[in-house]
Amino acid sequence: MPAFDVRWIERWQNMVNQDSVARLLGRHFTADVMLEMGPHAYVVSFERGAIGRIQHEIGAESCYQFALRAPAETWAKFVQPIPPPMYNDIIAMSHTLHGRLKIEGDVKVMWQNLRAFAWDLDLMRAIRE
Amino acid sequence: MAKIEPVNGHYIYVPFEGEEYRIFYEESGKGIPLVCLHTAGTDSREWRHQLNDKEIAERFHVIALDLPRHGKSIPPKGWWKEEYKLTAQFYSDFVTAFCRELGLERPVVMGSSMGGNICLHLALRYSDYYRALIAIEACDYSPGWWLDWLWHAQIHGGEACATAINGLMAPQSPFEYRQETWWYYSQGGPGVFKGDLYFYSVDHDFREDCEKISGKIPIYFMTGVYDFACTPEMTQKTAKKVRNSECIIMEEIGHFPMSENPVTFRKYLMPVLAKIK
Repeated sequence: MPAFDVRWIERWQNMVNQDSVARLLGRHFTADVMLEMGPHAYVVSFERGAIGRIQHEIGAESCYQFALRAPAETWAKFVQPIPPPMYNDIIAMSHTLHGRLKIEGDVKVMWQNLRAFAWDLDLMRAIRE
Repeated sequence: MAKIEPVNGHYIYVPFEGEEYRIFYEESGKGIPLVCLHTAGTDSREWRHQLNDKEIAERFHVIALDLPRHGKSIPPKGWWKEEYKLTAQFYSDFVTAFCRELGLERPVVMGSSMGGNICLHLALRYSDYYRALIAIEACDYSPGWWLDWLWHAQIHGGEACATAINGLMAPQSPFEYRQETWWYYSQGGPGVFKGDLYFYSVDHDFREDCEKISGKIPIYFMTGVYDFACTPEMTQKTAKKVRNSECIIMEEIGHFPMSENPVTFRKYLMPVLAKIK
């Protein structure tokens, strides 16, 4: 299972920031997003499609617009190069039939940026530890 | 020499409930009418591979139509006055009116997603008319999709609707074809995908009706393992309740077999078509 530690999330940050399609699709994507991956939690700040800051010391004063929360086992399936059925997509994992991922907060912001955000998350599958 | 497909497009005027609907359809081949129904919020382009399949065209007259409000079929008069909500009654009656207006004799209907779900209603309501039904990604109840986000002034409908369905496709399906399906989804009119999903997730609740199907028409259920809206288990459970039905589970494919992975889909489809006489 991936560690989902700070090194891992920073690798993802680099992948997103080096991906030309991510920059194209996310040119209006500016939002702070909480990613909870089992015991690890990060507030990821997207700035016009790039990932600027990642906060990993989360406290009562941490602010974000929407959050994705799932056990590490769920994310581990999602990031496999060929993810298994029902784990290949955040809409799949959060669908009412499956409930493997919780999406909370100002969900409208996520829907407004869904194309860019989903593209960025898919890049997690190319991370090699 | 120019490369031209053996597919022809036409417009037909379908009289229905006091309106005259201008409906676009594409066709190819000769033989048993095989009417193809597109999924929610998109159009007949999803069926381009099957329309171009020489072996299918030898035995079947393949017809793919755009429902009203979809693709090149225009909406009914006064469409802007109320929210669009597709119902099982309109959908099943309209598809039948289209087939009859074309003069089709005992056609086969093959539909995916909402086009698969409507096959259950066609089996119940028109058991004397249809020859066989191929219900792709279909089940008796598919909740959870009638969402406001899919028609919202502050959200780009094309991008949101298309990305919402992206994960319904299998990772093994060629990326190019998945992107092509995404592209079709990005082009629906405002509120059309959501309106179709009213049928898919709300009006279509067939859980108490499966056993009422006479069994006069064979029904072939076909579901891909990556379909998270209508899982293989949901289809299997439905098929068990429907007389004269078969259930085929397709590996390495999702909710849009005909457009996301036509090569893999063909391996499953051809044996089904061979059974239809």
